Parts: sequence; C-alpha cells; structure tokens
Amino acid sequence: MEGVFDFAPAIALFPLVAFVVALAFGKHMPKKGALAGIIATAGSLVLSVLMLAAVAIGEEGYYHETLYEWTAGEAASQVGAEGISFTFGILIDPLAALMLVIVSLVAFLVHVFSLGYMNDEGETGLPRYYAGLGLFTFSMLAFVYADNLLMAFMFFELVGLCSFLLIGFWFRTRSAPSAAKKAFLVTRFGDYFFLVGVVAIAATFGTLQFAGDDSFVVAAQTAIDGGDELFGFDAQTWVTITGLLVLGGVMGKSAQFPLHTWLPDAMEGPTTVSALIHAATMVAAGVYLVARMFGYYALSPTTLAIIAFIGGFTALFAATMGVVKDDIKQVLAYSTISQYGFMMLGLGVGGYVAGVFHLMNHAFFKALLFLGAGAVIVIMHHEQDMWKMGGLKDKAPVTYYTFLAGALALAGIIPFSGFWSKDEILYDALIVGLEEPVIMAAYAMGLVAVFFTGFYTFRMVFLTFHGEPRSETAENPHPVGWSIKAPLIVLGVLALVAGAANLAPVAKLANVDITFLQSWLEGGVGDATYAAYSETLFSGDDPVYNTDYIGTEETTVLVAAGLSLLLAFSGAGVAWKLYNVPEPVRHKERLGSVRETLESNYYQDEYQVWLAEGLTLPLARAADRFDQTAIDGVVNGTSTASLLGSERMTRLQTGLVTNYAALLVAGFIGLLLLLGISGGWFL
Amino acid sequence: MTVGIEYYVLLSMALFSIGLFGVLTRRNALLFLMSVELMLNAANINLVAFAFYHGNLSGQVFALFAMALAAAEVAVGLGIILVLYRNFRDVDVTVPTTMRW
Repeated sequence: MEGVFDFAPAIALFPLVAFVVALAFGKHMPKKGALAGIIATAGSLVLSVLMLAAVAIGEEGYYHETLYEWTAGEAASQVGAEGISFTFGILIDPLAALMLVIVSLVAFLVHVFSLGYMNDEGETGLPRYYAGLGLFTFSMLAFVYADNLLMAFMFFELVGLCSFLLIGFWFRTRSAPSAAKKAFLVTRFGDYFFLVGVVAIAATFGTLQFAGDDSFVVAAQTAIDGGDELFGFDAQTWVTITGLLVLGGVMGKSAQFPLHTWLPDAMEGPTTVSALIHAATMVAAGVYLVARMFGYYALSPTTLAIIAFIGGFTALFAATMGVVKDDIKQVLAYSTISQYGFMMLGLGVGGYVAGVFHLMNHAFFKALLFLGAGAVIVIMHHEQDMWKMGGLKDKAPVTYYTFLAGALALAGIIPFSGFWSKDEILYDALIVGLEEPVIMAAYAMGLVAVFFTGFYTFRMVFLTFHGEPRSETAENPHPVGWSIKAPLIVLGVLALVAGAANLAPVAKLANVDITFLQSWLEGGVGDATYAAYSETLFSGDDPVYNTDYIGTEETTVLVAAGLSLLLAFSGAGVAWKLYNVPEPVRHKERLGSVRETLESNYYQDEYQVWLAEGLTLPLARAADRFDQTAIDGVVNGTSTASLLGSERMTRLQTGLVTNYAALLVAGFIGLLLLLGISGGWFL
Repeated sequence: MTVGIEYYVLLSMALFSIGLFGVLTRRNALLFLMSVELMLNAANINLVAFAFYHGNLSGQVFALFAMALAAAEVAVGLGIILVLYRNFRDVDVTVPTTMRW
C-alpha cells in the first residue's frame, strides 16, 4: 500500500491536464471540456481516497518527499542554518490527506453539476470555464500537499489568479470584471504581507519546511527555548511578527475582517464557481494554511488570541449582514464569511480538531447550499431575488430536501454535521475563555453569531421554498436534470452524516471513544500533529492556554451545547414565525436606520474606497510627483548634461585636415608658451 | 666666407612658416603635400646647419633619413590623394568630411 504514494503527484496533475485539454481542444469535444474535467477530478478523488487509506494503514502514517529543487545556496539565517534550498515537495499527512479528499470530491461534484448548470443553459465560453475549474482544482490540490511555505505561497497565488479568471467569467458584463478585479486586488493586498512573512521566515530559520526535524516550526521552538534573539527581537516576539505577516494572506483569502469585502462581490461569477471557491478552494485555503502551520502559531499566544478574536468578530459581523440580503447568493456569501470566522475562532483557541472538523463539514454543506442555490436559479430561470420565489417546496422536492439538510447543518441544528463542529469550536472557546477575557469576548461574539446564523438561514429557506409562489416563474419552474440532482443528493447525505466523524460531546458525556477525527489528526509527522500541538498549548511545562470548566466537564459540555443549540433554534424559530407564512412581508423595514447600515454592509466598501481615494491616491500622486521631478530630474539632468557636453565636443570634429593642423599648431604654440612661461623665458 | 648659423635658422623658420601657411590655408591636396615638403625641408636645413656648426655628422645623416621618409610620405600621400579623387572627383580636402566621429 505504501507504493501508492508514488502516484501522489498525479492527484494535482490530473486537473492540470484537464485544464490544458479543455483549453486546447474543448471547443471540439462533446460537452466542451466537461468530460475531461470530470474524468480528471474523478481520478484525483480515487487517488486521494487511496492516499487516505495508505496514510491510515501505512506504518509511518505519512508521506513526505522532496521532488524537485529549484535552487540551493548558503543561508545567512539567524539561527545558524548553513544552507537553504527552495524545493517542490509533497507532504501527505492525515490533515493533507483529509483535505485532498474534500477538495477533489467537491471539485468532482461541481464539475458534474456544471453539466446541468452551464452546458444545459447554453452558456458560451464553456472551454474557458472548464479550463478555469481545472486550473483551480490543480492549484488547490497542489497547495494542500505542499510541504513547504514557498510552494504553498506559489499555489496560494495561483488560486487567487484562478478566482480572478472564474469570477470574471461573464466578462462582457460590467459587474463581473469589476468583482474579479476586486477579489484579486483585495486578496493580493493580504498576500503582500504573506510574501514578506515567507521571506522573513526563510531569512530567520533558513528553511521553509512545514514538518520534520528541519522545519521552521522546530527551529522556532528551539530558538524560543534557547532564548535566542532574532533580528533584534526576542524569539517569541519575532515568531509573533512573522506569524501575523503570514496571517495577512490568510485574512485576504479566507475573507476575514477587514479584507472580506471581495467575497460578496464574487457572487458575480457562476454559482458553481462560488460553490468551489467557498467550499473547497480559495476561501478554504486561508484556514487550511493556519491549520497547516498550526505548530508555528501555537508558539505565539498573541497570534492565537488575535486569530481567535478576528474569527469571532468576523463570524458575528458577517452574520448580521446576511440577515437583510434579498439575493439568495448574497446570503450564502455572508454566511461563508461568518463560518470561516468560526473556523478561525476554533483554531485561535487551540481547537485544532474543531477548526479542521468545521472546515470539512462546511466544505460539504456550503457546497451543497451553493449548488442548491444554483439549482434554484436554474429552476427560477436565473432569478436570484428571494422575494420573487416562494412555494418551490413541492415543485422541486429533491432540491428542497437537500437544501434543507444543508441549511440545518449550517444553522447548527442537531444532529446535522454543522452542529457537531460548531459546538466543538464554541466549547473549546468557552473553556479557554473562562481563563482569558479576550477569548471570552470572542466566544460571546461567536455565540451571538449562532442566533443570526439560524435566523438568516431559515429566512432564506422559508422565503425560497415555503409560502405561495410570488412570481410567474415560481409557479412554472424549470425542471432540473440528474446532473444537478445527483451532486445535491451526495452532498445532502454528507451534510447529515459527516458529523459522525467526531462526536466529541457524546464522547465526553458517555465516555466512549468515538472521536475519530481527533485520533486521525493525532498521527502524522513528528511535531506537526494534534498530539504535539495540544502538548504545546495545554499541557506542557508552560502552557499557552489554561482551561477551566463550569463545575464539571460534563456540565460545561451540556451548557455549551445547550446554549448554542438554544440560540440556533431561537434564530430559526424567529425566522419561522416571521417568514413561514403564505405571504411574507419585508420585516426589515422596521429596523429603520439599522437596516440602512446593514444593507450597505456597514459602509465597508465606502470606507475602503475613501481610504483608496482620500488617502492612498494623494499619497501616490505625491510619490509620483517626487518620482517624476526629483528622481527623474536627477537622471534626466545627468543625461541632458552629458548629451549637451558631447554635442559641443563633436563640434571639434569637423573632418577637415586644415582644422586639425591648426589645432595641432595652436596646441603646440600654447604648450610652448606654457613651458616658456613656467621656464621663465620672458622674465 | 662663412655664413652665420642664425641665417640658416631664419631661412628654416621662413620655410617652415610658409609650409604651415600652406597647410592651414590651402584646400588643394597637392598643395598640401608640397607645403608638408617645405616644412620637412625646413627641418632638414636646421639639421644640416647645426651638424656643420657643431662639426658632427649625425645631423646630416638624419637629414638623409628625413629625405627618404619624405619620399615615402609623398608616395603614401599621393596614394591617398588618388583615392580621394576617385571617390569625390575632387582633390579639395574640405570635401571629404564623412569620416568624422
């Protein structure tokens, strides 16, 4: 079974081949390149599952190999590493294996769904679309099993490029290219920090490996234990600084406050692309990166607290905006931001398993919800306004029941998958929060977000599927084919059962060993395992976080689960009361000025535009003027002076022998006079 | 009767100046060559006169060398003038200025 690892590169290469095929021959192929993509992602999925199995039953429990070396040289590192090499390598540990399966599964289902969503709708430019999907899948898969930070950064950027290409798929409209540019630029803004962080880590530790004895995590640990000084800071502070720099990239890609503004606009892309971006690729990449180098963050309590706080704040902030949106995709967009906030909260409080668990569950139920929304959009003849829907429950039962499963998971209603992971995050936040006030604040925000999540999720469900049809298209829905239904059913089942992977509360209460995901993540490469992280965080000599209980552990579990479930139910209940009526009305009118603020997304775009136009633009103008006058002045002045000088000098060259002779004689006479005067002839 | 050395020097100066005047003012390449010959001969006169004055023969030997060189120079110069004429249909030295810079 170990031999199966030899095929690991193919997991990412299949979609790359599909990209090339779709781009080059897509026009002439039946289904315009979809088949190539489906076959490639199916191949990736099969291989990923094989990897998962190989990791599970293999003796080492992971696979790590360097495939290609870009360049190697001497390192002027701060910790004394002598050489540094930039490599391409593959690291498949339990975390990466899990993520590979998630990504290739969602990508496969999105490809299948696209047959119904794009091909059947007679879209043009399909080869370009499928090529984009292929490249996107390739970048994300390669990012997932990257074994070093530089390779991760390269594919992180490639993921950003693909999002640009796909969000701007309908490039003839005005809004799509603008949204694509916004997504690209805002995430790039975060990536600048990431790039600086990569360079800083490479310069400090002389290595960029994620795992193993020569990883930067181990080097940082050694530096902190040895009390080293790095670039004039003590080691811990320096780890915090570099960790925060890398976090910049995470906040951009995972749409955390304040770099989340690109994500709602990204709804301009095809809905299938949104499903892929939100569930498995671009947005997941940020959180996955935090999980990937969790050992590094675990060394710095400050960074962890910042991650937790940003996560909690984003969860609440985005959830409140989701409450007032009328466009079904917009609601889902804000829900994505909010859910990734939860994951960041989970990771920030040291709930590594909880964060990864929610990442997995979210991938399934958010892909389901987006594809469900895509199905609704097909049913509604490309109408996205929820106020024009209603009553679709009986007309599209498959879509309704799968969407409902996704909604229940998203809202965190027991026993759907979202409940288990969200509850675990909140539980981890609570037990740490009892000791740390900052975490407590983050926990409180997350808890309030649960209520809003329940509310906006079921507002969306009721407005879309319940009540009376509110438009002609809702009365005569367009039928959907098997290629739309099949992925929905697969994901619907997963949204229901995926929670079984880690039934932590049940395990704690009944004292049985059913936390499969936790034991799965405990394995892997030496210091990059859950076991090693929890040692650093909770039980080492000087633990980062202390935990406390309200009474006993059992009561704490019950209180945490009860609170979040109560809030989720009350959110859903309010939505049921307000919107599960035959003729719902717009209750948000009653919110007054709050509605204005919420509908304009807290004026985030406005203030960012103001930042750009009011602050950055004058600064850039001033810099430009300085560049044009001072810098260019010096350069141009030098060249003008030498040009002018040379022009005068060439006048001496006439090409006339006579002139040369005259100059010769004049020079001779001049020399003679000079020598004469200095020799004292005329005195 | 002996002629004083200063007369030779004066003659030489006069010849040299005439030659220089020719080089600086004439445009005809042939006159150029002749002027150069004049200047060379001014030098020869000096050489011979000082050799006689000091009773040393090496100056005269050098004068012989200079004459041989002058002959060679004329051969080369005439060659250049021929090429000049072939290319520009003229022996005016102010015409070919295309070789500058």
